Amino acid sequence: MKNDHTSKVIAEDNYYFLRSCIRQNFFPGAEKVFLDILRNKLGKTVIDDPHHTTCTGIGYHSDIVPFDTYQTTVARQFALMTELGVKNAAVSCITSYGGYNEVLETWEHFPEQETQTREFLKKATGRVFDIPENISHACDIIYKYRNEIAQLAKYKLVNKHTGTPLKVVDHIGCHYAKIFPDKGVGGAEKSTVLTAMVKAWGGESVDYPERRHCCGFGFRHYLIKNNRSYSISNSKKKFESMEPYKPDFIVTNCPGCNMFLDRWQYALAQIEGKTYSGDKNGIPVLSYEELAGLVLGYNPWDMGFQMHQVNIEPLLDKIGVVYNPDEKYLDIKGNPIGEPLFSGCLNE
Amino acid sequence: MKSLTHLLNKDVRLKEGLNACMNCGICTAICPAAEYFEYDPRTIVNAVQSHNEEMIQKLIESDTIWMCGQCMSCKTRCPRNNCPGLIINILRKISQETGAFIKSRLGRQQFLLVKTIGANILKYGYCVNPHSVIPSGHPEQGPVWEWIYENKEKVYERVGANLDKEGAGAMRKIDQEDLNDLDYIFTESGGKLLFQTIEKYSMKKAFELGFTDSKGNPDMERYIDYLQNEDDEE
Amino acid sequence: MNIKKQVAIIGGGIAGLEAASVLIKQGLSVTIFEKQNREGGMLNHWSKLFPDFASSNQILDQYKVKRNNLNVFYNTQISSIKPKDNKFEISDNCNLKFYADSVLLSTGYKVFDATLKEEYGYGLFYNVITSVDFERIHKSGELLKTASGKQPKRVAIIHCVGSRDAKVGNTYCSKVCCITGVKQAIEINKMLPDCEVFNFYMDLRLYGSKYDALYLEAQKRHKIQFIRGRLSEVSEKEDMSLQIKAEDTLQGRPLRMNVDMVILLVGMEADELNPDLCKQTNLQLDENRFFKSKNMQTSRCGSTQIGVFLSGCCICPMTVNETLDNARSAAFEVVNYLNSDAHE
Repeated sequence: MKNDHTSKVIAEDNYYFLRSCIRQNFFPGAEKVFLDILRNKLGKTVIDDPHHTTCTGIGYHSDIVPFDTYQTTVARQFALMTELGVKNAAVSCITSYGGYNEVLETWEHFPEQETQTREFLKKATGRVFDIPENISHACDIIYKYRNEIAQLAKYKLVNKHTGTPLKVVDHIGCHYAKIFPDKGVGGAEKSTVLTAMVKAWGGESVDYPERRHCCGFGFRHYLIKNNRSYSISNSKKKFESMEPYKPDFIVTNCPGCNMFLDRWQYALAQIEGKTYSGDKNGIPVLSYEELAGLVLGYNPWDMGFQMHQVNIEPLLDKIGVVYNPDEKYLDIKGNPIGEPLFSGCLNE
Repeated sequence: MKSLTHLLNKDVRLKEGLNACMNCGICTAICPAAEYFEYDPRTIVNAVQSHNEEMIQKLIESDTIWMCGQCMSCKTRCPRNNCPGLIINILRKISQETGAFIKSRLGRQQFLLVKTIGANILKYGYCVNPHSVIPSGHPEQGPVWEWIYENKEKVYERVGANLDKEGAGAMRKIDQEDLNDLDYIFTESGGKLLFQTIEKYSMKKAFELGFTDSKGNPDMERYIDYLQNEDDEE
Repeated sequence: MNIKKQVAIIGGGIAGLEAASVLIKQGLSVTIFEKQNREGGMLNHWSKLFPDFASSNQILDQYKVKRNNLNVFYNTQISSIKPKDNKFEISDNCNLKFYADSVLLSTGYKVFDATLKEEYGYGLFYNVITSVDFERIHKSGELLKTASGKQPKRVAIIHCVGSRDAKVGNTYCSKVCCITGVKQAIEINKMLPDCEVFNFYMDLRLYGSKYDALYLEAQKRHKIQFIRGRLSEVSEKEDMSLQIKAEDTLQGRPLRMNVDMVILLVGMEADELNPDLCKQTNLQLDENRFFKSKNMQTSRCGSTQIGVFLSGCCICPMTVNETLDNARSAAFEVVNYLNSDAHE
């Protein structure tokens, strides 16, 4: 019963990639760079199967999708893996990751639920499945290969002007380990999955009091326009708590948190007329794939940093990343797409 | 009618979520909803463990059960390994199945979720889709999102996504066969039934509120508009 | 008794010492095996005792008088007990063997390792200390100070750390923490009269004689505040002060508070070597990993192995006076056994 955070097993290779509803919608470049790092930098095999779908986790946690349906949809993803003979899931979404673990835990304690799910799936789709051998979140895989990435890295998380490590605050998506602490690297309370990456790549993690507080997604609270003040007030709590530490950027392992921490900074600045970074831009928010891509020297616009509301350029300049600012708003052929009214948090 | 306690106990998640509560308040202490609303997960768990039918009935008709943000922070801390957030899921399920949800403002919003997230799942194969994140409904998404939304094809193409197209990749068009699979799963495992149940009671509420068309049928467009603008003053 | 019967006592804390003094008076030859280099066990770490602020040193001093017929082996860790020809063969780590007619276990307890409650930050945040750390400070005569050397203005005392907690595998109550929290709160108030002291408790289990009077005194004379809610987390702020979160369950509201120091009332756990002693005997552990009594009601000091007896906190968490009472009972059980037919 004692805390055992070393029990987490992360598969080495041959993954089935499961996309995230929110990540692919708002930051598709992050998923793209994840696959590219795995395939082309680390030499791993990852299947990107067009036939998989949402796990319905957002529907499940906003209570319009019953648990039986959730289990059956998850079982269909397992069936697709079984059909391709892939045994290791690489899950992009934190809600899904918690959900897959919840389903497996339920089947372990209530085998009749697994039997029923198999019946539903067979009847609905004719498919059968094996339970995957390993389910890891995509951040676990980057964590596992953080030192290899460090060796290949072009840049370090160091301020090139001062030579000091960048100060990084992290935010761990709630469903990564709060439901099942042994499924998260470092457990639920002091997760090390992101801090270990930051350390390996030359940065310095900074603890802050509300580190474990939810970003405020709240499912039905963000999804319904009238309820969004819950969401923004929780994010605000986090920004206020991290502000005194003057972080160079925020890193998260959850697609939703990434988006909310980026967008709510803008919204709060518009409401309050101030930012939590002291400048007009705000604190850049990166996902772990984007961070890995950044130190590996990927083109920031290939990774989709132009889709962030808070500009990433101040961070790139601090590190000394070589990039072409004029490419930011060009299409794939190099033609201008037009520009946002403004980026960052405050316009004037 | 079966007792509410019976309905609660029928859900296997109750056995995972509720061992026994000693009312220590460790869940409420770090609950984001408790900081924001007049909300106390401890007392909800206590009501469920009391088997007090009257209290449970009151809960499933209340705004209270819809305040939880499902972060599950409560699960990590409980010294008895309870999961109040999971108990909330079961109360919400029963509230929807019995129609009690239309008695509360926050409960009624479930209809909006069926029409957005529910529809997205069956239409696009994902809960979220750029076509449905319309900037006017999402001012918080800011000018960058507005730019993305206005230039979807080019922006998604630039960052290596595969928006609305065949094959693999981010925001790809999901094959009809795969969407059919999802549809059959929803039919077979109760997903469709829940949508229908929520719709049925919502129509009843729309009717009660006088949102009807010229033929006397519930006018759900007006009901949606009502739900979107309903404030918490009542 | 013509030939002096030999009794081996494992553990030279106050339970072992008290039992030894009774057994010697009854004419038995007693050997104590103590793993440390001094007797007194955990009591050495306490400063003053509840509910009367008695000095632990004064109690310990009573046992420092040399006694005939008492051998004490220091730095001796017993790793096995083996029944052999109506006697017991006791071995230590270095395979030294000793034979006795009866064995009395008084192996005591260990303090819960507070680093396991990661959400409380012990070992990470300088201003989070345990009740054991506080006793050491109090015993040294120094004032309580924060990491930056200042006198704390606000201290929170946290109950049930490592007790009544399935997360750490301890579902039992350690019994002594509530009253320790009351006692230490008063001691802080005496030390630093301007310091506000809060006790965060789940149930105040003040079961002992005069404990409730101490609670009353804490509230009335020392203005100690009691908040019914279990602490959920401690975070360190930039100035190294601490932010804590609990629910004030009597108000039904979450409570976030800033304090300068947090004191964790760490619970009592069974000794980690208890399972080793069970290996070659019929000794059993209970569900809390303490030694199982022959009978919960009528033979608390009897073990599940004939000829082996239990005393003090190796049975369950006990206060000092309970431990001493229990040790005397255990000694009489040993005497009865050695005089009985069962033994002859």
